[in-house]
Amino acid sequence: MNGVAPSRRISAVSPPAAGAQGEDGPLALTAQQALWLELNQFYIREAWLLDERKLKQWLDLFTDDVLYFMPRRKNVPRRELHRELTPLGDLAILEEDKRYLEMRVARLETGMAWAEDPPSRTRHLIGNLEARRLEDGEVEARTAFLVYRSHLETDHQLLSGCREDRLRKVDGAWKVRRRMIVLDANVLLDKNLSVFL
Amino acid sequence: MAAVREYAVIDPVTGKLDRRIFSDQAVYDDELERIFGRAWLMIGHESLVPAADDFFHTYMGEDPVILTRDGAGRLHALLNMCRHRGNRVCRADDGNAKRFMCSYHGWTYRNDGALDHVPGESEAYYGALDKSALGLVEARVETYAGIVFATWDRNAPDLDAYLGDARWYLDTVFNRRDCGMQALGPMKWLEPVNWKTLVDNCSDNYHVPTSHLSSALVQMRWLGRPRLSHEDQFASPHRHAFVNGHSLTFRDADDGMPRYVHGISKETARLFEEYHRATLPEVERRLGALRARRIQLANHSIFPNGILGLRLALPRGPRKTEFWHFVLVERDMPEELQRAIRIGSQANNGAAGMFEQDDVDNWRQVTEASVSRRARRLPQDLSMGLGHAGPHPDYPGLVSERYISENNQRLFYQRWEEFMNAPDWARIPLAPMTARFDGTATMRG
Ligand code: FES
Ligand SMILES: [Fe+2]
Repeated sequence: MNGVAPSRRISAVSPPAAGAQGEDGPLALTAQQALWLELNQFYIREAWLLDERKLKQWLDLFTDDVLYFMPRRKNVPRRELHRELTPLGDLAILEEDKRYLEMRVARLETGMAWAEDPPSRTRHLIGNLEARRLEDGEVEARTAFLVYRSHLETDHQLLSGCREDRLRKVDGAWKVRRRMIVLDANVLLDKNLSVFL
Repeated sequence: MAAVREYAVIDPVTGKLDRRIFSDQAVYDDELERIFGRAWLMIGHESLVPAADDFFHTYMGEDPVILTRDGAGRLHALLNMCRHRGNRVCRADDGNAKRFMCSYHGWTYRNDGALDHVPGESEAYYGALDKSALGLVEARVETYAGIVFATWDRNAPDLDAYLGDARWYLDTVFNRRDCGMQALGPMKWLEPVNWKTLVDNCSDNYHVPTSHLSSALVQMRWLGRPRLSHEDQFASPHRHAFVNGHSLTFRDADDGMPRYVHGISKETARLFEEYHRATLPEVERRLGALRARRIQLANHSIFPNGILGLRLALPRGPRKTEFWHFVLVERDMPEELQRAIRIGSQANNGAAGMFEQDDVDNWRQVTEASVSRRARRLPQDLSMGLGHAGPHPDYPGLVSERYISENNQRLFYQRWEEFMNAPDWARIPLAPMTARFDGTATMRG
């Protein structure tokens, strides 16, 4: 099932000619709007894959050269906000390539990855999408998320943050080739971070 | 004042441990006074405050502390509490500041702790305020190979004696190179566990093949990580040693192989081996041939709450611990190896670490079992290897015959009792130093 089903009258795929905005009537989409819809659908599908624990399919949403990066977030004075996020090269929460992501998924299938066995119940809510096409054909997209995790009997956590993604079309499908996840937390309040964001 | 309570929680003959020490508020309160109030506590690393006026915010137990380097380069551990009403004077995790101004009424302190400025000193206080008696409270600070320790107790022995012969082992990781080490981090997260479960776990190699098999298996396949099984462990040349509360596991094998760390993979193994060979003459000069060639520190803890190197188990109540994960790399190590260690470390030992995440529910449930009425009456069983440890001709400390043993856990809880029952430092025993510290390395690096 599609998260967003465009009406048949909307041309969501072919961008209107330059300067055509408004001329095709109220239902014509700009290239920007079409991109937005396409990516929105991408992120909704990703959320369902994660929440339905279809992690092998989730892995397919990433390019083979992906960087999956979650920096630390520090308390710094407002005038030093450039230091708030730790740069690549400093200790991060995650700085993974495809191989590490594959290991994490394969680990869960051993039946002995105790942090996730029995598995967490998650709900990924992804919103606030903004997307921008770059000159090299890639797309920069950022989204905000609220992820709820319930584990074992009463453990629960709410993870809030944003993702800044770079996406590239591979064989006609969008794939993430760089994801930066910024959590809205300094000390993580959670026993561990064993779910994907 | 109530009489000092006698704690007898570990039976050294049977290895039975009273599990109420993991959950009782009164025990926890005593721990903060008697252990965290007087032990040398690991609080950071010199490389976190490399320049004059740098600071790094840290903790001693539950007390917030600012580690500063003053304008003259001296280190200070200052209680982050304004002497007026007690507001914090620093809210940043780190930075560079000559002064800390309290955001409540504006009292301002120098980074050596001295109270420098009080608004209305003459008008409101009529010049009667004794500023010199109202500096930020300062702890004693000493360093070992760049790792910064602090204690509130003026009567604590020197850090050298506190670490004692444990340094003989610690040097093989923290004191190898002339260049010293760089600390990165910390990553911080809150675990619903008693702080002692993390420390106890540092010598618990027995849990590794069960708790961490899923991670080991996939890393064996993808990265060429060594196999992990009980059989391998029982045949392992690794051993345990215990000195002054510090638990050490180590490997003694003269095979020219570098110490195993997360980050060694089939791609990087050759580079790690080359680095090991290239630095061996320097390490031999610094640590002597025996330690440079044969002894490799593995999992360990530094009493009370330093775990696996510069990582901290900060108490936050009987059933909460804030875990701080740092990684240390040798400064001159090639960039590629530093990167491998950093990524291996965060991918395995951080909040999202493949190894680390599988530990927490175990520790949590051990902690919880000390709460419910029926369960809390049943002691933990720490009987493994009873009677199979003692002094050893080659290795300092009390050494277990085998790698898989609960000797260090039993001794850790005995050390805990020594601290909890002693009225003052004079009554806390220290093992005499007997190790031969060959080589040029010293406490200072
Ligand atoms: S509490 Fe700091 S100035 Fe009043
Ligand atoms: Fe573990």
